Amino acid sequence: MEFLSQINIALRGPTGQPQSAADTISRLADRLSPSTLLADRRAAVLALKGLARDCKADVAELALPGLIDVLQNDAEVDADIGKAVLETLITLCEVEENAPAASRELGYKNTDTVLAEEKVPQKLFTLLADHSFYLRYSALQFLSTLLQNRRQVVQAYFLKAPVGVTSLIALLEDKREIIRNEAIFTIQSLITQSPEIQKIMAFEGAFEKLFNIIVNEQGLEGGVVVQDALTCIDGLLRFNQSNQSYFRGSALPPVLLSLVGFPPSLPFNTPTPQQFALQLWDVPQKRANVSLAVGIIGLLARHAGPPDGLSIACTRCLTELGLSSNAPTHIKTQALRLVPSNLSALPLAEMIVTPYMPVPDSNGEEWDRLEPSSALDALVELILHGEYHAIIDGERRTKDGMELRGAALGIFQNFVQKEEISEAIVQAMISQPGSQAPVTPLLYALTTVPVSPLNFSSVTSTHFATLLFAHLLRYSPRAKALARSIIPQAGAASNQNSGAFFVPADGGPPPAGGAADAAEADEDEPQTLLQILSEHLSLAFLARAREDIPAREAREWDRLCVGYLCLLIQWLWEDPAAVREFLEAGALGVLVEPINQTAEEDAMIPGLCAFLLGVCYEFNREPGEVTRAIIYPILTRLGIDMLSGRIIHLRDDDRFKAVGPDSIVVPAPSSHAPTHHPHQGPPSVGVPQQDVEEGEIWFDWAFVDFWKSNYYTIQKAIVVDPNSVSSAAGQENAMLVASLRDVIRNQAAEIERLQSQLKTLSTASSEQEALRAQIASLTEQLQSSEERKRDVEKEQEDLLVLLDELNSKRRRDKERMRQAGLEVSEDEAEDDGDEDEEEEE
Amino acid sequence: MAGVAWHYVLKFIITGDAAVGKSSLLIRLTDQRFLANPDPTLGVEFGSKLITIPEENKVVKLQCWDTAGTESFRSITRSYYRGAAGCLLVYDVTSRQSFVNARSWLADVREHADPHLTCILVGNKIDLCTDDASSTSSAPKRKREVTTEEAELWAKEEGLLFVEASAKSGANVEAAFEQATRDILEKVRRGVFDDDRSPGVKLSKPSSGLALEDQTRSGCC
Ligand SMILES: Nc1nc2c(ncn2[C@@H]2O[C@H](COP(=O)(O)OP(=O)(O)OP(=O)(O)O)[C@@H](O)[C@H]2O)c(=O)[nH]1
Ligand SMILES: [Mg+2]
Repeated sequence: MEFLSQINIALRGPTGQPQSAADTISRLADRLSPSTLLADRRAAVLALKGLARDCKADVAELALPGLIDVLQNDAEVDADIGKAVLETLITLCEVEENAPAASRELGYKNTDTVLAEEKVPQKLFTLLADHSFYLRYSALQFLSTLLQNRRQVVQAYFLKAPVGVTSLIALLEDKREIIRNEAIFTIQSLITQSPEIQKIMAFEGAFEKLFNIIVNEQGLEGGVVVQDALTCIDGLLRFNQSNQSYFRGSALPPVLLSLVGFPPSLPFNTPTPQQFALQLWDVPQKRANVSLAVGIIGLLARHAGPPDGLSIACTRCLTELGLSSNAPTHIKTQALRLVPSNLSALPLAEMIVTPYMPVPDSNGEEWDRLEPSSALDALVELILHGEYHAIIDGERRTKDGMELRGAALGIFQNFVQKEEISEAIVQAMISQPGSQAPVTPLLYALTTVPVSPLNFSSVTSTHFATLLFAHLLRYSPRAKALARSIIPQAGAASNQNSGAFFVPADGGPPPAGGAADAAEADEDEPQTLLQILSEHLSLAFLARAREDIPAREAREWDRLCVGYLCLLIQWLWEDPAAVREFLEAGALGVLVEPINQTAEEDAMIPGLCAFLLGVCYEFNREPGEVTRAIIYPILTRLGIDMLSGRIIHLRDDDRFKAVGPDSIVVPAPSSHAPTHHPHQGPPSVGVPQQDVEEGEIWFDWAFVDFWKSNYYTIQKAIVVDPNSVSSAAGQENAMLVASLRDVIRNQAAEIERLQSQLKTLSTASSEQEALRAQIASLTEQLQSSEERKRDVEKEQEDLLVLLDELNSKRRRDKERMRQAGLEVSEDEAEDDGDEDEEEEE
Repeated sequence: MAGVAWHYVLKFIITGDAAVGKSSLLIRLTDQRFLANPDPTLGVEFGSKLITIPEENKVVKLQCWDTAGTESFRSITRSYYRGAAGCLLVYDVTSRQSFVNARSWLADVREHADPHLTCILVGNKIDLCTDDASSTSSAPKRKREVTTEEAELWAKEEGLLFVEASAKSGANVEAAFEQATRDILEKVRRGVFDDDRSPGVKLSKPSSGLALEDQTRSGCC
């Protein structure tokens, strides 16, 4: 308390006795009164500022109102006192995260006092525009402190005072970086959860100003200020429809795309430039900046309604970044996850990408450009074989690498959602009479014969292949029917160890290895895919049952079993023909053994086997060798309750539980057993990879979801006796769904028919309209001519009457003339007149 | 996504009483649609439209902020006045009250907006009271409560442009925006707005500060 004693000396009264801190502060507070000299007030504020940290409570209690008055009256007049009072107030209101509760409480309490009336915030808004650097800066900092403590209150004041936002935005153009950066920071918290303030910001040109900052700071190569600006932009857009439509329509989206190096108006059939695909990524700040920019591009890619030019460009940018660039793995993953699930904007099969490969040992400085391939092929390659064909990671499953493959898998799932597409892909795997279908990379990986000792990369490929194939079949009866007739080329699927390591990006299979005939390839008849899968499943069960394999390899055999089982469960579901084929391939024996294993602490594989057995029972509806009546006694001998329990226990397995819609990668067990790298030396590209986190995949969300919706059906189905026709609610549901689908299809057709009718009708009705108009005008004409006729008739009548009158008058006149002895002519007219008269009478 | 597709960006605000049809006018302008039951606007909504002014041979991007007429949003909506170049002040020709209140809206605009702002008074919903025989079947007719002459007179007194329109039929909707736009462009030509002072008018310069051509990117090969 050195400082306090100094002040005490200065303040010591005439009597000279020392004072307590509270006394001192009280006397200082008195001096804040407007009646003192400005210089005295300034001295008092400076003294209080010094005391504020250590005597926060006393200063607040005794001097806060006085300090607020000084801010109100003196700050604009005297920048020094303004700065000092602001700094004091900041100290009083600051809430330090690690401070004791009482001190933090005090900070909140003081903040509430300051914000009790609108005058302080109003004054701060005014000071933001002050020409004194220190005042501006301190006002900004104080505002930021208040926002940190009581965001909503400050936001409400902002909405009441239009100048607030305006002057804050103006600071984005402040020449002094320190103010500009502080303003960006303040805006970040100001816009949090306030769509109204976000919109005003957009109106006031915040987007344009923030982009200006980014561009002038070397774009995404720039420093942390770029990151802050991008965070602001994201905050203004993310939950604000109105701002999104403003932004979409502005000139800024092309700027954003250019920032990541993507030419905004690149024609669809023109490849992306190499400067986009290959960039330098050494600077961590750049990764952070690009990641934010990618997030915003993802927002623009999503667009309600039909895709427009912008959403297509953004979707392409994300896809290219994920499939054919040298961006860091986590950015690729982010980009692929943001590709909209409605893929109509992205014709994956037609889109051509050019993947790159790092040149080994070039430390990420040299890259080989691969042959262009369709984005779909590149996607499947990435899923099956990993980033850069795993030449960096080798057999190690890095968490990042697995996440990337998982994200790519998600795109594939969305892409094959349309039945036509999944069917077409399966169809391409079927040989037509007279010609062998090529073994696609997917089919190749799916049918690779697992041989001990396992090659872990190959296991991962096969496992991903089961996931891919399940996506093709899951909800498509037609794809399932097609898949049954796939007969992979004999010998194509040999152990990958013997094949070429590298599969060229054009999708062709590596040359088939010579050791095609694996152990049990004794029969000559070519096997169907389904038979091969059940055989490999059985192989895998045998291998994992062996006592002598190391734990780590046993785990990999488990993974293969899980992959095969999950695929078979989804394939055989509601497909009696496939069930029959599977059973006839000897499946019963294969499945029963693992279920029956006692004292197995691992519930996963028995659970899946029990489930598959249930599926085989429930959907065993075609006549065949292995009937329901044959299976039922096996079920009862195993114990229905036991089976039911096995099925339900899968739910408790950690590997199963951990899977979510967006997270299928689980941490690998921390076995740091040295992995062998049969194909290349140590990692050779990019940052040295010490101790990268490893991750693995067991299930994907689609299966977990499938299982959760259907396990109950199977639990019920295994109870039902073999002769009952159909038990499962699931099947009823399925039938219901199928019939509803039919109804919908019919209705759609009906609607279409009606619409076309309507169209012809409406053209007919427009003709009718014309006719009606014609009739109307004719009627009108008729009416008017009738009226005219009537008028004419009336006129004629009037004339006749007149004539009549004239006639009688003339007659009378003639009479009178005759009487007067005048000579009167006897003209014909008279006769006419008479005749007329006669007619009239 | 080609380069700059417009010569000017103009900021418009649309104000007036609740339910006079402000949002409906904007939706008619941007989407060529009419909704019978739109939600009342909360705060502010944004919409934009490119229009061409043939005489000037200029493409103009209208950025329109449609504000809420409800009293409780008034302080929020005021924030938008300051930066606008144009204002549609809307009333409903079948509601006298909305016309009376237009005075206070105008006062608000005058208090907060740029003094050079162009304001057009728009009498909306004329479809409800036209004596067009063809419209008898639709919507119950409502009585006109504000005559064209009266509104025109007031507009003249206040120096506002004026038009009667209908968001429902679409009559005069684009015309209202065009008329205001012409007036603003005229002011631009006369140099009333100089570029940096009025935030409501932006000239699009293809080589503005946002162009990235000169950025040097690091290649890797
Ligand atoms: N007949 C007719 N009705 C209209 C017209 N314009 C709007 N309406 C109707 O008037 C009602 C209000 O329209 P809005 O566009 O929501 O009004 P607003 O001014 O935006 O209202 P606030 O957002 O609450 O300020 C709706 O029921 C519209 O359908 C018009 O030109 N003719
Ligand atoms: Mg509205």
